[in-house]
Amino acid sequence: MNNLDTLPKKKILSLFMTCGFPTLSQSKKIFNEILSHQPDVIEFGLPFSDPMADGPIIQEANKLALSSNLSTQQSLNLIKELSKSKNNTSFVIMCYLNTVRKFGLDKFIKSIKNIVDGIIIVDLPFEEESEIKKSLSKNNIHLIKLISPMTDKKRAQKLLKGSKGFIYYVSATGITGSNKLDFKEINKNVKFLKKMTNIPVLVGFGIKSKKDVLEISKKTNADGVIIGSALIQKYFDLKMDLNKYVIGLKKFIQEVKI
Amino acid sequence: MKTYKQPSTIGRFGEFGGMYVAETLMPLLLNLDKSYKKIQKDKKFKKELNDLFKNYVGRPSSLHYAKNLSKFINGPKVYFKRDELNHTGAHKINNCLGQILLAKKMGKTRIIAETGAGQHGVATATVCSLFGLPCYIYMGSKDIERQKPNVFRMKLLGATIIPVESGSKSLKDAMNEALRDWIKNVRDTFYIIGSTAGPHPYPKMVRDFQSVIGKEAREQILKVEKKLPDYLIACVGGGSNAMGLFYPFLNDKKVKIIGVEAAGRGVKTEETAATMTSGTPGILHGSYSYVLQDKDGQIKEAHSISAGLDYPGVGPEHSHLKDIKRVKYFGINDKEALEAFQTCSKLEGIIPALEPSHALAYLIKAFKNKHKNKVVILNMCGRGDKDLFTAAKAIGFDADE
Repeated sequence: MNNLDTLPKKKILSLFMTCGFPTLSQSKKIFNEILSHQPDVIEFGLPFSDPMADGPIIQEANKLALSSNLSTQQSLNLIKELSKSKNNTSFVIMCYLNTVRKFGLDKFIKSIKNIVDGIIIVDLPFEEESEIKKSLSKNNIHLIKLISPMTDKKRAQKLLKGSKGFIYYVSATGITGSNKLDFKEINKNVKFLKKMTNIPVLVGFGIKSKKDVLEISKKTNADGVIIGSALIQKYFDLKMDLNKYVIGLKKFIQEVKI
Repeated sequence: MKTYKQPSTIGRFGEFGGMYVAETLMPLLLNLDKSYKKIQKDKKFKKELNDLFKNYVGRPSSLHYAKNLSKFINGPKVYFKRDELNHTGAHKINNCLGQILLAKKMGKTRIIAETGAGQHGVATATVCSLFGLPCYIYMGSKDIERQKPNVFRMKLLGATIIPVESGSKSLKDAMNEALRDWIKNVRDTFYIIGSTAGPHPYPKMVRDFQSVIGKEAREQILKVEKKLPDYLIACVGGGSNAMGLFYPFLNDKKVKIIGVEAAGRGVKTEETAATMTSGTPGILHGSYSYVLQDKDGQIKEAHSISAGLDYPGVGPEHSHLKDIKRVKYFGINDKEALEAFQTCSKLEGIIPALEPSHALAYLIKAFKNKHKNKVVILNMCGRGDKDLFTAAKAIGFDADE
């Protein structure tokens, strides 16, 4: 059973949060709050010292998480603990390849098997994925693909072939949490992708508010959205006060659940 | 022995190298690879580059017999391949000219680069000025502080310098930020990487452009010594000057090759930049190579008195050459490098940059009273002007800034 195979048809909500941010114990409270809303997908970011595809907000979250010497094992334990109440929510890990490699691919998969439904390895391109994809699929974990506006048709076809879970469409050519949304371009590209695949296409990067979510839903053919940086930004907006942040999260998630 | 032929078509040097970047960058790298392959066969491109090498850079750089230093070492005959005499004072310009010609051919209108010591930043700013393209240089704030003359140079040349405050505020972080800039501005921007690091095709491309150093050195030494050198020595940070010298000699099995890394306060301390002595294989900046990392694969901060070697990674080709034992790598600490910096200045009338001072220190240390009748070529890849304040401070001389 893989929760990603039974995602709803429309208005999918995927929420990204960095593991161990700002500290391990506070992170538990934050994830519990997120999970209590039963979003369709939760993306667990594993902190990395050099997150080259992430913007300043997620970089800062990574840095804070790592400043208390958070280990990969602790992040995986946290995910395991939360999975007890995951219900229909899909669990997806988002990380960089060095984290998986250093932990050991087999050991990593063993630790997340039957807990995690999918994994996004940001810096693992199609060209380098075959060995990892094979091991993952043997254990019923989907390797989620990123597709960018720079990906041309021929390449998109290759990437989409045999893809499972969902497609993470990077809405702006940019790093997480940056640039403005161009709905026209998003619509054009999502439509084009949906012709080639049956799995949901989610739009991520740069979605900040209820307004953005509504507009994506109204003006484009996308099946849902991914929100990350905006969720973490709230913590800094609320002056790093955990209690206020949890309340802020609740309000924000209720708003973006359309 | 088989002829050395690396990397593979997908950018692998043995098991090292590759392209580990987000999908946003993949189409660009593939396109860059294609364009690079195309211009390699383009005679006009070659001619244009060679003209620039000759008339703008001042190539070929000379091969100087360092008589006094050789006498001091009382060992081999030491030759300096004097790439510090190049326009802009280091080898970096060779690669920048190649890449900016390529950028022009690809129709790119904005140039970005990372810099550590500032040499690559200056070289990039220089070629941007020559070709009239806007130039943005990412530089760690720690490096901005310790490489002030180069910062001013870049500004004079019309570049915009973007200080990087993340991480260790040095070369690694500057490269992260430059990559982020590239992801954001993929359509119009060309990223001129300054070392044989990063994702394919950069390690190959930078090596090829730098290999003019080794090609010239090979011809020059054959002319004066009527034989190939017994040893090559170069410093290794990311490894571009070293690859440039080594590459044309890799098939000459009798030529022994030595790469010298910056050991900072020592290879056994946490404050080092000697990636291949103290590191393990991992992924940094899009490439699989030796890196300084902890048990969870988090990249450690490097330390070296030389900003150009202060990098926790190394080019993938060096990792391969280490593993197949074609090149031997050693660490030299800050103190040893500073001593060699002074020795060379006093004896040869050449003030070396702190980077090649590491290679010099190894040469002095390991060849003292040994290897007589042998011939060594050392890559003098940069001049020391940029390091005067850093060196004065470390030596305890009061240089008024």
